[in-house]
Amino acid sequence: MEVDPVTRAVARVEGHGENTLHHNLVRFTHILRHLGVRVSMAEALDAYQALTLVDLTSREQVKAALGAVLVKNASDRQIFNLAFDRFFVPPEEKTRRRTLRKQLEEEERRRLTEAREKLNQALSPWSTEANFNTEEIKTFARLPAREQKRLTELISRMHGNPVNNPGHLIARVMQSALNYWRYYLLKTQGEEARQQLEAELTGETEMDDVIAGVAADFYRDPDDQLLHQDMQQVAGTDLEKFTLTLERLSTRLANRLSRRYRRSNRRQKLDMRRTIRRNIAFGGSPLKLCYRSRRQHRPRLLLICDVSASMARYARFVLQFIYGLSSAVRYIESFVFSEDLERVTSYFRRDEGFVPVMTELVNTSRQWGKTTDFNVALKTFHRHWRHLLTVDTLVIIVSDTKTITPQEAARELAALRKRVREILWLNPVPRKQWPYLPGVNVFLPYARMFECYSLHHLEAILRRQMLK
Amino acid sequence: MDLTIKQLQQRLETQGYICDQDLVVTLYLSLKLAKPLLVEGAPGVGKTEVAKALAGALNTELIRLQCYEGLDENRALYEWNYQRQLLKIEIARGTCEPAALEKDLFDVEYLLERPLLKAIRAEKRVVLLIDEIDKTDPEFEAFLFELLSDFQVSIPELGTLKAKQIPAVVLTSNGERELSDGLKRRCIYLYIDYPTLEKEIRILQVKVPQAQEELVHQVARAVNFIRSHLDLKKKPSIAETLDWTRALVALHADALTPEIIGQTLSLFLKNRDDQETLKREVGLNGLVEQIQGMKSDSSTPARATCHCGHHHH
Repeated sequence: MEVDPVTRAVARVEGHGENTLHHNLVRFTHILRHLGVRVSMAEALDAYQALTLVDLTSREQVKAALGAVLVKNASDRQIFNLAFDRFFVPPEEKTRRRTLRKQLEEEERRRLTEAREKLNQALSPWSTEANFNTEEIKTFARLPAREQKRLTELISRMHGNPVNNPGHLIARVMQSALNYWRYYLLKTQGEEARQQLEAELTGETEMDDVIAGVAADFYRDPDDQLLHQDMQQVAGTDLEKFTLTLERLSTRLANRLSRRYRRSNRRQKLDMRRTIRRNIAFGGSPLKLCYRSRRQHRPRLLLICDVSASMARYARFVLQFIYGLSSAVRYIESFVFSEDLERVTSYFRRDEGFVPVMTELVNTSRQWGKTTDFNVALKTFHRHWRHLLTVDTLVIIVSDTKTITPQEAARELAALRKRVREILWLNPVPRKQWPYLPGVNVFLPYARMFECYSLHHLEAILRRQMLK
Repeated sequence: MDLTIKQLQQRLETQGYICDQDLVVTLYLSLKLAKPLLVEGAPGVGKTEVAKALAGALNTELIRLQCYEGLDENRALYEWNYQRQLLKIEIARGTCEPAALEKDLFDVEYLLERPLLKAIRAEKRVVLLIDEIDKTDPEFEAFLFELLSDFQVSIPELGTLKAKQIPAVVLTSNGERELSDGLKRRCIYLYIDYPTLEKEIRILQVKVPQAQEELVHQVARAVNFIRSHLDLKKKPSIAETLDWTRALVALHADALTPEIIGQTLSLFLKNRDDQETLKREVGLNGLVEQIQGMKSDSSTPARATCHCGHHHH
């Protein structure tokens, strides 16, 4: 059949076109996925179908329709809203944003050139060519003006020093100073830097704009920020708010858990249907009975928490969260370890509130803030506390896997795995860095490892695992 | 049934269900795409009400399946009427062939329809409400998931029963358990949040018409303030606002005073700690001041100070 030229042309434009419904929808679902919202193919198809049913000229309807089919939980709703508002904008707005971005880029470039010039100028009296890399120049540009000045002054004061080939030496000094600053900035502004990494970018500028924008907006909301913040970074006034949030989350989870594991008064119930069928042969008199049986076990929790120097802060929060659950979980045993292992269950059996208990624990424990030897810790555990394990024990290990002798520790872990229901490993190191940790690979076969550096992670993992 | 979005909204409103565009579009899509609607939100925001209003709007029957822990197919789908079967066996003892008897025993007349089967066998398109799906066990959820995808059931003794009309399904969840991804993927999703001030006022006007205009505004503002400013264990939701307003009407109150709030506190804060929090952080006097302050903020911001001065007498 001959297709008329207009239809063909339209089809062609649609096929390659940038601004079709299909195309935009696909890009939008991509953006959502990059922001961590799970959107399946089926849902994307639903979305397309949904759009054919609503008034496309009504922004409100389109938003409601896409929201209803693409986003299936309340916490993703906010991400969706932000992404929608940023993605579906009139062309003028798009152009305005593009210009704005260009300006910002221009600004950044100017700042970098300026920084490079300043650096070279400071070194110029020695007529030396120090090749600063981009990282170093960026660091210099990010320094507060006062520090920039101090650094250049320091260099100029070295004028009088009679050293052979001073240029080279000065350049080295400068580079190491910048390296220090880079490390320092990363540490103090670590959260910000990490967020920028977090939202994976696609490489396509327009989509990346939306993704980066949403990520930035999202973290501006103080409550969400607290929830997603790296526990390592919590300090000062936030600490109190953080502790409150932690308490609320753990209480909520405890409520759910206790409802789930509430001991029911119902005895085993007779399965009438199967009983009748089985007894047809006996004239319907129920000679053989069939029962329905189902039993819910409350999990026993065994917590092994790394409290070495790198982990101490996380450990505090994790311990508090787990103890928030103690009303719902029948039995919690806890251990802390670094160079060796100590049982700390008894501290938490007192009714004293978390803060005094924790303070006492930190003061009396010999493990807090030492180096890590998971192998020795597990050996001690096996020697003294093996009797605490049962087949329905859920072991939760909190550690960054940075230990000496990981291979030996993995062997011990394998032995532990055989005796318990499951081992969950909460790792505060972001998943992206796992490939560089030798411990992760050797422990992975025996434990289910989760990335866990924020309250949001902690709550989600425990909820999912314990309410399974 | 060919409703437009606007018509659907009007019909819902005649049912006394005040809803915004978001909700109507979502409901409309779930009807048009013939997919179950999963409704989530805090307790008391009107999740179950969605299904009731929908049944009213479509002028059809509402079939409700209340979920609980341990709910199984027998309670949800169908069960044989054992007592009748046993009686039949006793009556027929020695008079007929066992094979014929068995065939006879498993006939539709011995079948007890439970909500799911009832919805499937209904002649007219019904609204099936599966309430608090998160309370069931994962196995039941998986079973439900099967049923919702093709709307047919096979009963071994009778064969496969296929739905005559695909029912409009509404599932509600309080989020006590994560629902499976499969189920979520199959559903259209609706999250009902606490209402905005304007919406709550409209709801109150429709549901408690006896209440004075001024009282309605004050109640809505008070609840709105409590929700957004206090850190509570259980925030008051629409259900509580309605109860409170009805109680105030019964007490012939035409405006909120600290005394009357104190007397009716337990109607909207159902937790002792929360009541203490309100008294400690804001105080009943403070709450009344806030309500009036909000009013002057919205109408004549410049005169707000004047109002405040008035309250310090």
